[in-house]
Amino acid sequence: MTSVLIAMPCAPMADLTDASATPARVRERELVLAAQGGEREAFAALVRLHRQRAYAVARAIVFTHEDAEDAVQEGFLHAYKALARFRPEQAFGAWLHRIVANAALDIGRRRKVRAAESLPETIAAPFRDPAEADELRRRLEQGLGKLGERQRSVIVLHDVQGFTHAEIGEVLGIPEGTARSDLHHARAALRKGLGDLWSVER
Amino acid sequence: MMERRIGPDGRDDIVTRTLRRMYAPPVDVGYWDSLEARIMARVGAAEDVWWQPYGEWVRGGLIAAGIAALLAGGGLALASNAEAHVAANTILETPRELPQQIATGTTGLSAHEATLRYVLEP
Repeated sequence: MTSVLIAMPCAPMADLTDASATPARVRERELVLAAQGGEREAFAALVRLHRQRAYAVARAIVFTHEDAEDAVQEGFLHAYKALARFRPEQAFGAWLHRIVANAALDIGRRRKVRAAESLPETIAAPFRDPAEADELRRRLEQGLGKLGERQRSVIVLHDVQGFTHAEIGEVLGIPEGTARSDLHHARAALRKGLGDLWSVER
Repeated sequence: MMERRIGPDGRDDIVTRTLRRMYAPPVDVGYWDSLEARIMARVGAAEDVWWQPYGEWVRGGLIAAGIAALLAGGGLALASNAEAHVAANTILETPRELPQQIATGTTGLSAHEATLRYVLEP
């Protein structure tokens, strides 16, 4: 696989939050209304539309694939229970991602992951390419473990999942400027940890 | 040593590429279908009552009914207390007078005469 963005055929969040009534948006609104009316099939269709993007959000926040799965399931369940309170004129994706992010943050708090030493050796265990188990990867895992939860989420959401600063702010409930600043600090911290691995060429 | 390139946006190519491999999502469609099925199973388990879509209304109705029951109970208790109070006052304030017939009929008679008059009187 060349990159996560290619592997995930999801529309960027900006499209989902766009107020213009695109066919996809109209369809999504129909599904939301039907789900609010009690049609479980409609909710299943919404799950199908958003499952990968929701996973990407959760995966950026927690340390393991398994925790991301749990967060996605929790998030969709919370969303289903709160569906009556959702206003259909809102962007469903943005609303859902916020719920999934909160579920992931809750799981992260429960795990109480604090130090790099406690990081699972296989940060993406089930889908790991053995050829990548090298020094760089090990250092990155350590570096990510040393970052704060928010900075880690920001760098993964931005550099890996392709979210914009504004989208990250929306998902994590922080100002766009804070997301930008967190990204800068997270990159700097990772670079510092990798310093002796290479000589910089700009 | 590896050669390292940092783009104009501050992104490090090698680091980003490695991070993307580390965080790569499952590519198997079957995995996503299975995840969806698990999500819907949990939704189904949560939706064990037919009025789930109206949960908000039902919750509101239950809360209102609870408040109404409390108010009604309070009102009944107050009314009951007031009735008991009135009844107690009635008893306490009623003069303790014996019927005129008994009061006058026994005055000045011995127990024997009084019994005799009681038996002989129509």
